Amino acid sequence: MDVTPGKHVVATDFDGGEGILVDLNTKKYYQLNETAMVVWKGLEQGKTTSEIAAEITSNYEVALDKATLSVKRIVENFQSYKLVSAR
Amino acid sequence: MALDRITGFAGFLPVDAVVVDGRPGLWWMEMPDVSLTEPFFQQTVERAKTGNNRRELFTEFDVLLQLEKVLDSVPPAGFIFHSSRCGSTLLANACKAIADSIVLSEANAVDKLIARFITDATDKVKEVVYSVFLRGVVHALAQRRTGKEQHLFIKFACCSFSQIERIRRIWPSVPWVFLYRDPIETIVSNISDVPPWLIDNDRRVLASITGVSPEQVAQMRLEELCARTIGSFYSLAHRLPNGLANGPGLLLNYNQLSVPVISRVLRFFGVSPSAEELETIARRSRIYSKEVSGTHEFVADAGVKQKLANDLVREVTETWASEPYRLLEQKRLEQSWM
Repeated sequence: MDVTPGKHVVATDFDGGEGILVDLNTKKYYQLNETAMVVWKGLEQGKTTSEIAAEITSNYEVALDKATLSVKRIVENFQSYKLVSAR
Repeated sequence: MALDRITGFAGFLPVDAVVVDGRPGLWWMEMPDVSLTEPFFQQTVERAKTGNNRRELFTEFDVLLQLEKVLDSVPPAGFIFHSSRCGSTLLANACKAIADSIVLSEANAVDKLIARFITDATDKVKEVVYSVFLRGVVHALAQRRTGKEQHLFIKFACCSFSQIERIRRIWPSVPWVFLYRDPIETIVSNISDVPPWLIDNDRRVLASITGVSPEQVAQMRLEELCARTIGSFYSLAHRLPNGLANGPGLLLNYNQLSVPVISRVLRFFGVSPSAEELETIARRSRIYSKEVSGTHEFVADAGVKQKLANDLVREVTETWASEPYRLLEQKRLEQSWM
């Protein structure tokens, strides 16, 4: 399920950890919570979903299986809105 | 618009927030060589248009997010909020005397975006989106066009003060000052020369500020509308945590304005004016602050305005503005440093 951010999508931070994604094709905006923003930034840096989950467990008090599940769900959401594409 | 095309925006400034073919966005003008010397940003835009064939273009707001990643820009050093006709332009002009400064004085693109917090931010996502746009439009306006710019000061339109809490959420550490004046003098000034904000066709902003319906605003006498609006500003300023002990906010009455006080405000903004800059500020403070040519001498008019106040002005002042003003003055006097 490793994916890369679409070139038609711009992300920006807001208010600490949260952020906004804008799909330049559809002009739709998406508000991301702190975890989703960590996932998006990880994808921008070329990390795999496993690497992102590992990063989350090292920075937050969360078990690896829960972090992996969260990352999987967030990436599925990105895919459903066509914000990412397969590598 | 692809990011590689965005780099061509250097030197373009967003001069207005507009709607083109039903699409809300920004109007840009190429002004790499135009210094923002006039008392108000839109006066500078008008000068730039005169006799020059400058490129202009429209974009939607999303361009701002891309520009934030590529444009070198000056972060804000200080914000000037005010209750209208109370010396804020004098203070903004003083900021212009500081070398290598950018002063954005009531730029349409900034204040119209802030108004959208009231008219369009109907849910949390839109509120965040408009916050990001506002941050982006300031970033674009404050781009380093000469490479030497060091300080950015922003003077907002008076109605934008109603959104100070949202603005401070974007820039929580930026010091701000709220300037205000005796309500009778403020109302007399606004009624004798009615400003656009008081007769704006979109009544939603003043309705939100005064807590009545747009229909009620449309039917209200200007004196009452002005009194309710500035009374609301005083009340908001009174409610906000400020003072050096509670956050980077400062209250300043028009009757305090002097070169030493302005110098202290600049230091509050993190800037130490030189002797030469203070001399410039003193010279400019003797000129009527809003006049473009800078030739009309300033004449103190508090006494004249008090005499000009009719019974209606005194009545609406007493009903809507006197008590909030008194409370705000009480709070200001508790600030020991100014």
